[in-house]
Amino acid sequence: METAIALDRATKRFGELTAVDALSLEIGRGATVALLGANGAGKSTTVAMLMGLLQPDAGRVTVAGRAPRQAVVEGRIAAMLQDSGLMPGVTAAELVGLARRMYPAPLRVEEALELAGLREQARRRVERMSGGQVQRLKFALVAVAGADTMLLDEPTRALDVQGRREFWAAMRNCAAAGRTIVFATHYLDEVEENAERVVVLARGRIAADGTPARIREAGGRAVVRFRVPAHETLPTLPGEVVREHGWATVRSTAPDDVVRRLVGSGADWSDLRVSPPSLDESFLALTGSTHPAHEEAQVR
Amino acid sequence: MTFHLFRLECLRMLRDPRYLALAVVAPIGFYLLFATIFGGDPTQPGELKGTVEIMVAMAAYGAIWGALSATGPRLAHERSSGWLEQLRSMPVTARHLLTAKIAAGLAVALPAIVLVCVTAAVAKDVRLAAWQWAALVPAMWLGTLPFALLGVVVGLLVGPEAAFPLSYGLYMAASALGGLWVPPARLSAPLQDVAHTLPTYRLADLGWRIAAGHAPTWADVAVLAAWCAGFAALAVLAQGRRPRRARTGAASAAAVG
Repeated sequence: METAIALDRATKRFGELTAVDALSLEIGRGATVALLGANGAGKSTTVAMLMGLLQPDAGRVTVAGRAPRQAVVEGRIAAMLQDSGLMPGVTAAELVGLARRMYPAPLRVEEALELAGLREQARRRVERMSGGQVQRLKFALVAVAGADTMLLDEPTRALDVQGRREFWAAMRNCAAAGRTIVFATHYLDEVEENAERVVVLARGRIAADGTPARIREAGGRAVVRFRVPAHETLPTLPGEVVREHGWATVRSTAPDDVVRRLVGSGADWSDLRVSPPSLDESFLALTGSTHPAHEEAQVR
Repeated sequence: MTFHLFRLECLRMLRDPRYLALAVVAPIGFYLLFATIFGGDPTQPGELKGTVEIMVAMAAYGAIWGALSATGPRLAHERSSGWLEQLRSMPVTARHLLTAKIAAGLAVALPAIVLVCVTAAVAKDVRLAAWQWAALVPAMWLGTLPFALLGVVVGLLVGPEAAFPLSYGLYMAASALGGLWVPPARLSAPLQDVAHTLPTYRLADLGWRIAAGHAPTWADVAVLAAWCAGFAALAVLAQGRRPRRARTGAASAAAVG
């Protein structure tokens, strides 16, 4: 598969702080990839390096096989940045029209506004828009570019539930059209539903890299829950056991083993159910919040 | 690209009531007021009639604010609001952006010059030869270039809260010292020396000389060119600054890149 984005031991330091630490990552053309990480994990700095807004102190970054700034100038990559703002005093259509003229194969203005759910607000001035509408307009500026690669930093921030749904429906259309989509987010449900690959960053490094299902399995613990009388003695189970109100909850990386020992113990349990690891828990574990030992786990 | 940025910059200015009030309505209003009070015939040979001298002064006064306000406070605000950050993620170079800003600064300076001149002709019966009008308007218009460049320097170096008061303070001080409020001949000798070094005086002097039937002096052109060169050099230095901090989601204070 053709490589859309490549970072080869890319490092970015700000004084004493190493924001991105020898990060190596390759993203193929047409992929939809989520960058996941806590605040300060290095997501936005990575995005900025991919747009040529920051130069790596060491290592190499390329977009479509060329230097990021060159790729930006050629209109091969377009980004929705977290820190960006919009020009006041002009309408949504005027601003998207300006962006349209910057790219070699742009969408029509109406098409981009429609995709962003702003058709009704085409003639509204930027400064009179709500936070959610501004976020949609930022997306329209990316959409109108028709670029091969779309980089989205916290794209659904300030959007309501309906807005988020519409945004991701539009993104799925872009993905279906063969565009490479890389997005950074805090919303794990969005990752689960929209990414085919997840790169978890912690302290500027890759903590995990794989499909959402594999990330879940790598860092998360399954939950085994069953009814058991308070006086009943349970066998030693692999995992964290919590008993309350006649129920036992076991969080474990080996749920099969938990069930096997329960069955073999002859204890008086009932209503047993097993839930797979959640991405939330896995994320926390991989980024060091609950399971620091797993932080450097490599899923691949 | 530069043209489309320029077009939007001009649109924004024309929709801004503060621009219309300070750079168009105010100079016309001041012209009508001062020309009515001080618009008499010259008291000494070689002096311009009051209505003509004040016309040039007020045209310069409005044009300077048009050029300065389209660049300085706006650029400073755009640096902090993230619009420049947005542009940096698009196929726009700093040259595109700054050229569009400076061109827009010049473009929005023009209405003040033209409308003050029209007001003078209509309301105060100012009459100049056709060649004088044809020379005065473009000469004064081009003479506003140092102020557009000064605005770029302010916009790149100063924060959004300070940019407007600083620009306005510089504008008022340079206007007063440059003889736009009080005829330079009535200033004391040391103040006249100061005035002669200022772009405000030299801009107005272009107009006064043409209105008197003479060519502008080389000193006018040289002083304006020197200010242009100085502000352009400062703008290049200011633009070369780069942010050196982590990106944590807070508004970036990035320079134009």
